[in-house]
Amino acid sequence: MAQPLTDDRRFTRNAGLALAAGFGLVLVALILVAMTYDNARRLNDRVEHTHRITDNLSQLILAVERNETATRGYLLSPAPLRIQTRRDALARIGPLLTDLRRQLADNPEQARRLDALRPLIREQVATTETLMGMALAGDFTGAQAEFGRRVLVRRIEDIRAEIGKMQAVEAELLRQRIARESGNRDILQAILLLTALLFMAVGVATYLLVRRYTSDLAAARDRLHLLNTDLEAAVAERTADLRRANEEIQRFAYIVSHDLRSPLVNVMGFTAELDSANWQIAGLIDRVEKENPDLLTPADRTAALEDLPEAVGFIRSSTQKMDRLINAILDLSRQGKRVLAPQELDMKEVLTDIAHSLDTLATERGAHFVVEEPLPTIRHDRLAIDQIFSNLMENATKYLVPGRPGVISVRGKLRGKRAIFEVQDNGRGIAPEDTERVFELFRRAGAQDQAGEGIGLANVRALAYRLGGTVSLRSALGEGSTFVVDLPVEFAEEGKIK
Amino acid sequence: MNAQQPVRIVMVEDDEGHARLIEKNIRRAGISNDLTHFLDGTSALDYLFNNPEGPAQNGPALVLLDLNLPDMSGTDILAKIKGDERLHRTPVVVLTTTDDKVEIARCYDLGCNVYITKPVNYESFADAIRQLGLFLSVIQVPDVEA
Repeated sequence: MAQPLTDDRRFTRNAGLALAAGFGLVLVALILVAMTYDNARRLNDRVEHTHRITDNLSQLILAVERNETATRGYLLSPAPLRIQTRRDALARIGPLLTDLRRQLADNPEQARRLDALRPLIREQVATTETLMGMALAGDFTGAQAEFGRRVLVRRIEDIRAEIGKMQAVEAELLRQRIARESGNRDILQAILLLTALLFMAVGVATYLLVRRYTSDLAAARDRLHLLNTDLEAAVAERTADLRRANEEIQRFAYIVSHDLRSPLVNVMGFTAELDSANWQIAGLIDRVEKENPDLLTPADRTAALEDLPEAVGFIRSSTQKMDRLINAILDLSRQGKRVLAPQELDMKEVLTDIAHSLDTLATERGAHFVVEEPLPTIRHDRLAIDQIFSNLMENATKYLVPGRPGVISVRGKLRGKRAIFEVQDNGRGIAPEDTERVFELFRRAGAQDQAGEGIGLANVRALAYRLGGTVSLRSALGEGSTFVVDLPVEFAEEGKIK
Repeated sequence: MNAQQPVRIVMVEDDEGHARLIEKNIRRAGISNDLTHFLDGTSALDYLFNNPEGPAQNGPALVLLDLNLPDMSGTDILAKIKGDERLHRTPVVVLTTTDDKVEIARCYDLGCNVYITKPVNYESFADAIRQLGLFLSVIQVPDVEA
């Protein structure tokens, strides 16, 4: 399970990085598009600029030629229209030149040419001015002669040639700029295409990722659901197994202890028969001793009057002890089968009752109980609680330090959903290495000077476990012991943890 | 009705030692009735129902019954006796080691007349058997023909 998880994590990280990179690329592409577009606009401006220059040049040559033609025409056939035409043409030359000068400021070569053109045009205009002046004064013949002499035509051709050169330069520039513009457009198209592709790629990747995550999520949810169901089933199965095992153990304990009793009845019974037979023999020995002492050896006497009764006595006491142990196991297994019936228990009442019932015994042993209030109210099986506390309290009176009056304090408090009770004595205490052992069946601690089978505490612990609680022990040798009973305030159904 | 026909004691007990102790103590109580002992349930049932000498065919009887038998449970025998028309009036004394309350209640439900737990303490045991002897000497066992 761990391996796919790290793989998943790596995938998620890589996918995230790839997506971020994709979006980054898209951003770069967009910036490129913007830049290329800007460049295209600038290039376009340049092309327009060139167009305008070419246009202006054409208009300039047109205006110069018009002036020339109008002047010549007037000389041949003076008409006021021609004067007007000429004036219009002349009026345009000045602004056109200014315009061109400004427009060609970025192109020193063309600007130089324009500067070279200026004196030519000025000279030509001055010539037409002179001719026109003569014609207006009525000297047509003189003007015509002057016209022939001044070779106006050649001058205009120079101008035409010069402007033609400039136009050629501009045409070349235009060609270059258009080429550059179209190159730029190609780049823009490529970038746009690339961006579109990128967009698509990122989109597809995002879609796939989202789909993968969604299906992963759905699968995880399904698996979780399945696991939950499985877990519940597994827990139920285990619980059933445990319960079965527990029942098995109880049945086993019951059957074993029960079947052990049967031979014990025989041992006890025939021991009693032996005993009564022995009385007969003892009587016989007595009679023989009186009537014919010679028949009797000391060994016969010892066998009949000492060895036999001693043997019978040991058999009997051992069998009785065995019987008590078997009964204890039977009791324990029977208690395990008992159905618990929880009810409200005022612990002050319960513990005071127990203290009262044990009072006589405690006084005999030189101890007394102190039930400290307040005590909580809990909800548990009455009999089980009674057994737990009467066992602990009776135990406390049992192991006192000789000469020290026994004081047994019982107290209790609530801590959250737990009720914690303490049974404290000032008796002889239990050695640290024995604090767990005392809870084991048939085990006891310290000097074995009190009657008992070592069952009480085992029973107390078993009962506390059944009620969902624990019993623990704090003790210092010679100072006393404190048994701590930690129970849930309310008894939950057995085998269920609340 | 033949009131003088002696009551036969039928003991079903798989433990020979127990059987011996029971018989000894019954005799000590002064009971001298015939006592027939069976070690398992099958032969006991056969005697009870089919033997010409047995109580179903001939004369009144009292059954001392142990519950833990090798071949069947004593409660099965009890149920068979109490379910039979000829035998259902025969007193049955369950004498066993089991002191489980559920088991005792079940035996009484099935119609057992007396339930005695074999005490391990021999004095109590002997005492119980002798009292049973006294009980045997005073009860009037109904004749099967009655």
